Amino acid sequence: MKLKKHIAVLAALSAAVTLGATAASAESTLNIVKARGNLRCQVGPPSPGFYNLDANGNWYGLDVSVCQGVAAAIFGDKSKLEIQSVSSQARFTALANGESDLLSRTATWTLTRDTQLGLDFVTPNFYDGQGFTVRKDSGITSALQLKGARVCVTTGTTTELNLADFSRKNHLNIKAVTFGDYNVRDDTFLKGGCDATTTDKSSLAGNLQAFPVPSNYIILPETISKEPLAPAVRQGDNQWEDIVRWTVFAMINAEELGITQANVDDMRANATDPNVRRMLGVEGNLNEGLGLDKDWAYNIIKEVGNYGEIYEKYMGNGPQGIGIPRKGSLNALWTHGGMMYSPPMR
Amino acid sequence: MDAWWDDVFAAYALNIDDLWRRTICTAPSFPAGDHIRRKHRQRETNVTNEAKATKRGAPKEKFNFFQDQRVRSVLYQLLTAGIIGWMVWYLASNTAHNLSARGMNTGFGFWNVSAGFDTDFKLIDYTPGIGTYGRIFAIGVLNTLLVSFLAIIVSTILGFFIGVMRLSSNWLVAKVALAYVEIFRNVPLLIQIIFWYMGVFSVLPVVRNSLDLSFGSGWMTLNNRGLYISTPLPGDLFWLTPAALVLAIIGAVLFRRHARKVQNETGRQINTLLPSLAAIILLPLAVFLATGTPLAWDMPKLSGFNFVGGTSLPPAFLALLISLSIYHAAHITEAVRAGILSVSKGQSEAALSIGLSPGRVMSMVVIPQAMPAIVPPLISNWMNVVKNSSLAIAIGYADIVSLFMQTALNQAGYAVEMVGMTMGFYMVVSLTISFFLNIYNKRVQLVER
Amino acid sequence: MAMIKAEKTPERSAPISESSVIGWLHKHLFSSAFNTLLTFVMLYIIYLTVSGVFSWGVLDATFVADNRRECYDNSLTGACWAGVIHWTNNIFYGRYPREEIWRINFGGLLLVLWMAPLWMSRVKGKVLVATTTVVFYPFLASYLFSGGDKGFFMQIMVAGAMTAFALNMANLLAGLFRSQGLNSFLIKALGQENASDKTQRNILLLLAGIVFGVAFFWQMGQTLQPIVWTKWGGLFLTLVISGVGIASALPGGIILALGRRSKLVIVRVLSIGFIEVFRSVPLITVLFMATTMFPLFMPEGFVLNKLVQVIIAVVLFNACYMAETVRAGLQAIPKGQYEGAHTIGLGYWRTMRLVIMPQALKYMIPNIVGSFIGLLKDTTLVSIIGLFDILGMLRSISKDTPWLGLHKEPLIFGAILFFIMCASMSKYSRHLEVKLSAGRTH
Repeated sequence: MKLKKHIAVLAALSAAVTLGATAASAESTLNIVKARGNLRCQVGPPSPGFYNLDANGNWYGLDVSVCQGVAAAIFGDKSKLEIQSVSSQARFTALANGESDLLSRTATWTLTRDTQLGLDFVTPNFYDGQGFTVRKDSGITSALQLKGARVCVTTGTTTELNLADFSRKNHLNIKAVTFGDYNVRDDTFLKGGCDATTTDKSSLAGNLQAFPVPSNYIILPETISKEPLAPAVRQGDNQWEDIVRWTVFAMINAEELGITQANVDDMRANATDPNVRRMLGVEGNLNEGLGLDKDWAYNIIKEVGNYGEIYEKYMGNGPQGIGIPRKGSLNALWTHGGMMYSPPMR
Repeated sequence: MDAWWDDVFAAYALNIDDLWRRTICTAPSFPAGDHIRRKHRQRETNVTNEAKATKRGAPKEKFNFFQDQRVRSVLYQLLTAGIIGWMVWYLASNTAHNLSARGMNTGFGFWNVSAGFDTDFKLIDYTPGIGTYGRIFAIGVLNTLLVSFLAIIVSTILGFFIGVMRLSSNWLVAKVALAYVEIFRNVPLLIQIIFWYMGVFSVLPVVRNSLDLSFGSGWMTLNNRGLYISTPLPGDLFWLTPAALVLAIIGAVLFRRHARKVQNETGRQINTLLPSLAAIILLPLAVFLATGTPLAWDMPKLSGFNFVGGTSLPPAFLALLISLSIYHAAHITEAVRAGILSVSKGQSEAALSIGLSPGRVMSMVVIPQAMPAIVPPLISNWMNVVKNSSLAIAIGYADIVSLFMQTALNQAGYAVEMVGMTMGFYMVVSLTISFFLNIYNKRVQLVER
Repeated sequence: MAMIKAEKTPERSAPISESSVIGWLHKHLFSSAFNTLLTFVMLYIIYLTVSGVFSWGVLDATFVADNRRECYDNSLTGACWAGVIHWTNNIFYGRYPREEIWRINFGGLLLVLWMAPLWMSRVKGKVLVATTTVVFYPFLASYLFSGGDKGFFMQIMVAGAMTAFALNMANLLAGLFRSQGLNSFLIKALGQENASDKTQRNILLLLAGIVFGVAFFWQMGQTLQPIVWTKWGGLFLTLVISGVGIASALPGGIILALGRRSKLVIVRVLSIGFIEVFRSVPLITVLFMATTMFPLFMPEGFVLNKLVQVIIAVVLFNACYMAETVRAGLQAIPKGQYEGAHTIGLGYWRTMRLVIMPQALKYMIPNIVGSFIGLLKDTTLVSIIGLFDILGMLRSISKDTPWLGLHKEPLIFGAILFFIMCASMSKYSRHLEVKLSAGRTH
């Protein structure tokens, strides 16, 4: 009797907390998301610029904006969104088993990942590359001078392997000091525990702003890896993949066409450029192939903004930005010599 | 309204006798004679006469298969075994299915595969790209054991020291010890580890201004990259010096025994401390000098970016060691205090009254009697040190969990095997420790009798 | 000739060495040269620590600023508490919507009110109060915290919880003002003292039924805004995990402990194996196992959310420690109690329920509080696997753009918070221990 009651209590308690249990099925992701009423978008543990928590518990950042853009495209409301922060070990499993609809975190697009993990990368929304930060007074000006140096690196990511490859290729005998947590990695470097710290250059630049005297450190010119950071979706749902891909493209295209969050209403009403009119759903039927409403792209720009605005806000010099210059970098628009290029929307 | 909970509450309210009286009074006939009858049936085999008498006296009853205790016990066990067996089978088949569905690797094939990543602290040779995952496992195990072993030693010494402080007659000393215990016991170890890790760095100087802990000899230097210690390089005749040391210690022990014996027989006390110390220090020193100081030191030297030579202990290691030692010393302190307080006050008063000095009262009367009470919690604390060293993952010290269960697992897959091996390692350690604890407990119990 | 003094001799005051401040000082601080030296050394150490901490944490500290740069501008050597202050809501409630925070506070207040009678000697029926807390409160709280649509079962439980709470409060008032249980008070108030037991019981059940009915219909019209678990965080999440952990670990621990002492070989071997396996491995490995292996254990397509995975791991882990606490409690019960229970014809489960457990539980309470403290501290480990518990939040402050790199202050704040919670609980458990052991010897 006692046993029965205890089992009942245990079962009840576990039932109470199992409310969030979900089941993945073969239905289309768009329908699942619409039925659920919100988008589950996966990011990582806070990382400056890409996804951060503010003091009110809201997520913000470049990758969060992609999540918001997709939510706006589907629901016309960027707040119909549930951000999941998942540690880097569990990120691909959480996407594979249906816990997350979309992975928008600093995941590098590689062939192995694209082919073996059951996921598809959409299109880069940020071009990064691994680099090194050193103290200015160390006199180092090139990564090839790092012979025998101790380099701080986070474990379990491609950066660790890139560092080992770089060291072996150039016979530098670099000693890797590994950390599970980048908080600690930065701090160790800052306090002199390493001669250099390595990670993607965007993070290096972001972290530099957090150092007490940023001008005492420099980022070395070498980029030892290509790191196109792209959102990813589960393999096998082409419609869903298209939605995410064209959400990113819509942001880039809007910047190219000069549509901003502020003038999007005006543009929809008065623009004569057929490209703008098609994109904002005034004419044509671009939305049909995606299975979305006519004003999907309008909603993205209205709710979130174009790529340039987002970049400025979180990566550039906005109040929440981390101050990475865009001009001349790979992340500038193709018209300014960068890599941000959207296929035509027609 | 006399509900069942009132009965429970009656029992709960300290007075169990009351419950019985009430049950017996209000229910003059036992609720169901079943239990007693069953009990008697069980005894039947042993005490035949008595049982027969009871049986004759009791009303004839039908043999109820499910009411029989032996049958029920077998049924219960079969049921339990069945449920557990089914659960294990269910989980295992799910796992097998999921593993194959996701194309994940299984088996122990990874053992001889070379691992591509490096680790900054290792006790055995390892080269990334050449060394195998087996070697990575060994590095993790050794690193865990090393930091745990050192932390156990430091925390035990510190714990005993503060435990005695805690009982000091000096009010201030006792309160400071109390504050130490309360503060470090009540803050999560993980916060402490992270804090020490950052604290150590923010206090220590950079490499160029290394702190010399050996008064300018460069024998031991501390900076924010860790602690650098010279490695001794023994010469040809060096073995004579430790041999002399061992000899001196044996001599001191023998001398002490002799002194005890004299004291037991004649009551005359012989001062053993000074002569023993002198022998232990002077004899090896004399031998060392006589053989021509056959010892060189591999000094850590600043070269380029870093110190070269000597032995270096990384800051993560130091931070983990410090925080584990401090945290567990606070726990050991309480064990020591409880043990000492468990020795009745009469013992120390009696010892004082026969003229023993307070130090001797402690060492000869109180501590020996307190040890049986101190050792079990002490050893369970040691076990906790080993387990808690796994928090190294937060600061990147390459222990078995962070190196093997995280990094290696991420690189190679094999989740089931690697998690199993890591847990197996901890189980082996804890079983070994409890094996020795049991031996100790048996010995202590024998002595008591 | 008066041999006897008529008036009382005035009491002499205690000797100066016993009563005066100087005497106390002499005895406790300066009784010998060595002690005096120790005292001065200690005073110096205290001075160094306190002055350093004080000037960093208070004198030079910045309490009001909008970002870290402003803190630096104000003082380079002092603490920057402004970041922690800005993040207060995150630290305590996680990402819970700010306008819904009252639900967490309300849930906490309910629990306090609900449990309060257990500490009042005048209130009757404590076991019933404790039972309803365990049976109903979790449902009410889980609905309060997560909201959304209620299923039929949930509606029943929520209404039941409200009924139980209302009766509990009425019982509390009856106890405080009349020193009697609610049941006898009501019977008396209705003038039914002389009715038969059965009538009395029916009346009481009817009253409870009416309250339940009212509660049920009222709650049908109420729906709270749903809040997903990913918005839970901070201290709230820490308390939820450790609270559920300890509450479910207790029954689990009792079952395991009984299994360990069972005469049935298979049950005993399995229990011992289970307990020893989990007790010999660190919690972090169990948590890793939960997050990497549970998804593999489950049938394909069935996903447990991470919070549930973590809670299962914490419960399994803690049940095994609880089993040892229960075992110690059971061992403290003299054999005579078992034999006595047998003598009056109680079977195994009734012996345990009516005689052994109530006594054993009492001796276990201090240890259970101790386990809870341990669990509360251990829960910080969930931040390693990516949950935003209090430590996760404290460490996220240093990633928020305005406060980039602010590590130390949040950690110290967390340490102080944990110290206050854990130290007060352990003080209480020690007080309880003394009280209970006093009851034992009499």
